[in-house]
Amino acid sequence: MPDTTTERAALIEGAPAPGVKKTDPIVVADGVQRTFGGVHAVDVDHVEIPRGAITALIGPNGAGKTTFFNLLTGFDKPNHGSWSFDGKPIGGVPAYKVARRGMIRTFQLTKALSMLSVMENMRLGAQEQPGENIARALVPALWRGREQQITERAQDLLARFKLDTKADDFAASLSGGQRKLLEMARALMSDPTMIMLDEPMAGVNPALTQSLLHHILDLKATGMTVLFVEHDMHVVREIADWVIVMAEGRIVAEGYPDQVMSDQAVIDAYLGSHHDTDLGDLSEEQQAELLDETQAEVEREEERNDG
Amino acid sequence: MRHDTTRRRSGPAALLTVIATAAFALILAFAGAAPANAASSPSPSPSSSAAQSIQVWIRKASDRSDVPGVKVTVSQGSFSQTVTSGDDGKALVPVPAAGTYKVDLDASSVPEGAGTVPTGLNPRQVVVSAGNQGVPAYYILVAPGGGATPTPGASGGASSGAGGGGSGADSGASLFDLIAPRIVTGLIFGLLLALASIGVSLIYGTTGLNNFAHGELVTFGALMGYVFSAVLGLPGVVAIIAATVLGGVFGYVQDLGLWRPLRRRGVALVPLMIVSIGLSLALRYLFQFIFGADQLVLPADNRAAFILGPVRLRSTDIISAVICIVLLLLVAFVLLRTRIGKATRAVSDNRSLAAASGIDVERVIRTVWVGAGSLAGLAGVLIGYYQSLRWDTGASILLLIFAAVTLGGFGTAFGALVGSLVIGVITDVSTVFIPNNLKYVAALVVLIAILLVRPQGILGKASRIG
Amino acid sequence: MDFSFLLLALGQIISPQTIAYALAALGLAVQFGFTGLLNFGQAGFMAIGGYAFAITTLHLGFPFWLAVLATLVATTVMALVLGIPTLRLRADYLAIVTIAAAEIVRYVVKTPDLIPLTGGSDGLNGAAVTFDALNPIPPGSYGFGPLRYDENDLWIILVGWIFVILVALLVRQLMKSPWGRVIKGIREDEDAVRSLGKNVFSYKMQSLILGGALGGLATIINIIPTSLQPDNYGTQTTFFLLTIILLGGATTVFGPLVGAIVFWIVLSLADGFLSLAVQYHWLPITTIQQGPVRFIIVGVALMLIVIFRPSGLIGKKREAFFA
Ligand SMILES: Nc1ncnc2c1ncn2[C@@H]1O[C@H](COP(=O)(O)OP(=O)(O)O)[C@@H](O)[C@H]1O
Ligand SMILES: [Mg+2]
Repeated sequence: MPDTTTERAALIEGAPAPGVKKTDPIVVADGVQRTFGGVHAVDVDHVEIPRGAITALIGPNGAGKTTFFNLLTGFDKPNHGSWSFDGKPIGGVPAYKVARRGMIRTFQLTKALSMLSVMENMRLGAQEQPGENIARALVPALWRGREQQITERAQDLLARFKLDTKADDFAASLSGGQRKLLEMARALMSDPTMIMLDEPMAGVNPALTQSLLHHILDLKATGMTVLFVEHDMHVVREIADWVIVMAEGRIVAEGYPDQVMSDQAVIDAYLGSHHDTDLGDLSEEQQAELLDETQAEVEREEERNDG
Repeated sequence: MRHDTTRRRSGPAALLTVIATAAFALILAFAGAAPANAASSPSPSPSSSAAQSIQVWIRKASDRSDVPGVKVTVSQGSFSQTVTSGDDGKALVPVPAAGTYKVDLDASSVPEGAGTVPTGLNPRQVVVSAGNQGVPAYYILVAPGGGATPTPGASGGASSGAGGGGSGADSGASLFDLIAPRIVTGLIFGLLLALASIGVSLIYGTTGLNNFAHGELVTFGALMGYVFSAVLGLPGVVAIIAATVLGGVFGYVQDLGLWRPLRRRGVALVPLMIVSIGLSLALRYLFQFIFGADQLVLPADNRAAFILGPVRLRSTDIISAVICIVLLLLVAFVLLRTRIGKATRAVSDNRSLAAASGIDVERVIRTVWVGAGSLAGLAGVLIGYYQSLRWDTGASILLLIFAAVTLGGFGTAFGALVGSLVIGVITDVSTVFIPNNLKYVAALVVLIAILLVRPQGILGKASRIG
Repeated sequence: MDFSFLLLALGQIISPQTIAYALAALGLAVQFGFTGLLNFGQAGFMAIGGYAFAITTLHLGFPFWLAVLATLVATTVMALVLGIPTLRLRADYLAIVTIAAAEIVRYVVKTPDLIPLTGGSDGLNGAAVTFDALNPIPPGSYGFGPLRYDENDLWIILVGWIFVILVALLVRQLMKSPWGRVIKGIREDEDAVRSLGKNVFSYKMQSLILGGALGGLATIINIIPTSLQPDNYGTQTTFFLLTIILLGGATTVFGPLVGAIVFWIVLSLADGFLSLAVQYHWLPITTIQQGPVRFIIVGVALMLIVIFRPSGLIGKKREAFFA
């Protein structure tokens, strides 16, 4: 892939280092801090996400990746800090407005709306449906047309994600991996400028992983910016153009996928939590461990949601 | 630890025993015979040949002493009868049929200096159902200027029975004179609330359940206290211990028979909460079915035993407060120092992590139910002494309990304590500024206001997303 | 032996009380069943709406339509006051704040100091004048057996049922629209819906306002044939409504209507049967003990429905509110 290399080389200005300037950043964050009871969950001095590229955000569990996602997308409020998206500051902008501006995120713990059908899930992802206004909702003539367009787009996407046969099933009946796919497809309904995927591969069976990777590469091909959190270094190496490494809330390293794996700071970061992790491939045991951690988190999350 | 059956069984029992013993020791030490002089004010269950009757009872707000010689007229249509209160401040008026009667106290017959009936409470309508004996028409006379008057015979709600009205003894009392006694009674009430709130908080923390039936655990304790003291005529000490122990048993049985099976079925939290609402309705009206709709009175000495400036307390108030403080300290000790307490906090903090680290979560939850049940039972019987009790005593303070727990931050036992004290003081002190019957409103308004500023409660922590 | 109670129970199908509970329950279903909002203070919305209607009618001489508007304004204000602080918080905060607010309303209207305005514990009587004045039905006595209605009873029953059905159709239309999709999405997972660019807070508020308004309007139907009694709007009323929607199916539009009818028929039958039982000494209970029994029935029924049939009578099993 010769052009990938040149394309990648053009991402940054200067040498790879934490906080390095990008030639064409889509997200620029400065001094973003979030503490939980004294613990710095996120403490990012400066980071830029390159436009039109696939950036991987990696780091051991508890590094603050999800919290950073939450902050950027308006789901959580920082103690201080500012950041911009597409040139406009979006610090303090509520989550739904961030999404409308074209920055859509998915969740580490899938949030398929289980009592809605797969198709309804998809339709919900669309923007500019006048029928979502309570007054216009009463007059179907005002929204039928748009609904038709939305449905067609949803069918397209579902077909691409091989979920078209499930369109009328409740989302609850999907497997864990299919839900991940659904969530990603749903996020694409609004044609976002940037999509942020929090551990899109977690819990997805290996057969599906490969097709997910292709979808992500396809997104980039259509000009979308992708930022994703991932544990599996093979995956990162395979699709990421740029890698940002977090540990204990900070950005400890940035670089091209091949380089960053050998960065001493990265090794240290991982050694802090997973002692004998060969970054190239996690042993099955470790994968199981990570899975367990995710599972435990899922359970906690569900408990909270039920409350 | 998973195989250590003796430990498993001993947990709840140990806690229960400790609590019961502490209560026992305390009462022996402080009470002497205080609540034991039973017969002095019997519960209003008079016998009469008429099928129905109205019990008139006139007391002073300041020291709860009975007021004799007051004329009261009970009338309905052509029926009219005037009676005069006896030495015990009471008069029983047999009425011919079920219906709504007008009860009118003749203000001119009230002895000089005994006070007046607050406006709005006289004359009043009393509803008598067929066969109802001793339907209460209780009057509490307030000295001019006195504010804190419980609505007599109308609700099982908290009232600053501990001489709250005493403040108004001389007109032109300073604001301090008005507020000081209410802070004291409010703190005592707050302590009583805390006993119940901690259980709510622990149950929420360990199981996620917002228990709407917790008020019934409180009422259960109060009624058990009534059964043992007023019905069986046993000393107050026995009644208090019985209420505590049986409250624990009730909590245990509830968990075993209802909540644990539902947890096993994986019933989610919202439906669980609704089940607790159903249970609350069913139990509350079962209590009414068994004990009737009237106020019940625990035999106690209602004279002021402790007077410091404007503050007047009965011996029962002081004993209650001391029992509360000791038990709360004990709970704190259990939570902070014992194995089961640490396990409880671990489960509250993070259930899956606790389970993964080998804690027997079910055992912890069982223990929490027993502990919550006994604390609520104790709270109930003490509230019975503090004011009066009824089939819905617990339900009427349920919202205050929730307010306390929410204020303190869900799931934190110490938050519940702080919240309870705040709520207790607010309810009582508010009566200086707003009508007495709106005092719960003050507490609930404060709850809403605090949530605006600090949604996670005073001591709570924020929840996480993603 | 008097079996007229069987007919009377049948009369519950069309009684204004049933209509009122159906409407208030429908409001609660919008909030709770469809949006997932734990409004445990629907009785408070009912009270506020009822007092707004009665006070503007009796003290300000408002014509009927204006008094109805006052009800809508009052319930909307209440929804805003309660919603703004709590709708951003965890779901159970709303439950506790709304139940507290409903009690606040009840305590306040009962305050002796407000007797000139609210009638205190006795409530308000006579708010039906403006409605009855619109009655086109000729005076007379209609019906058969123990089920007899005068022209005003008939008038409220007719208008009430037509109104409830219209509202139900309207709500159904809403729930089938993209608006309803967002609402149901919020019930499932509000963060997911937020991440898709929907203003979740605004939708929840709309749902709270809509449901509350239906509660307020329900009280108008409830008090027209009788009077406005503050104690009819205590927490147990909310719990009755909760039972009704769960009975019928919390995530359906017609469930609350079916639930309300079944609920009042069952209670009425139970009351009638118990009266007979007391009269003929079939059961060792007294007349006074008869009162609490209906509440015990409701409580136990509520538990059983939630545990064994969470989708209600007409709800589809898979669409049970509780997964
Ligand atoms: N709501 C919260 N309350 C307290 N601590 C939190 C909360 N959310 C995250 N944390 C803490 O912040 C740190 C970062 O967590 P997270 O962002 O989930 O990490 P990652 O996604 O990298 O695994 C962890 O130590 C976690 O325990
Ligand atoms: Mg994460």
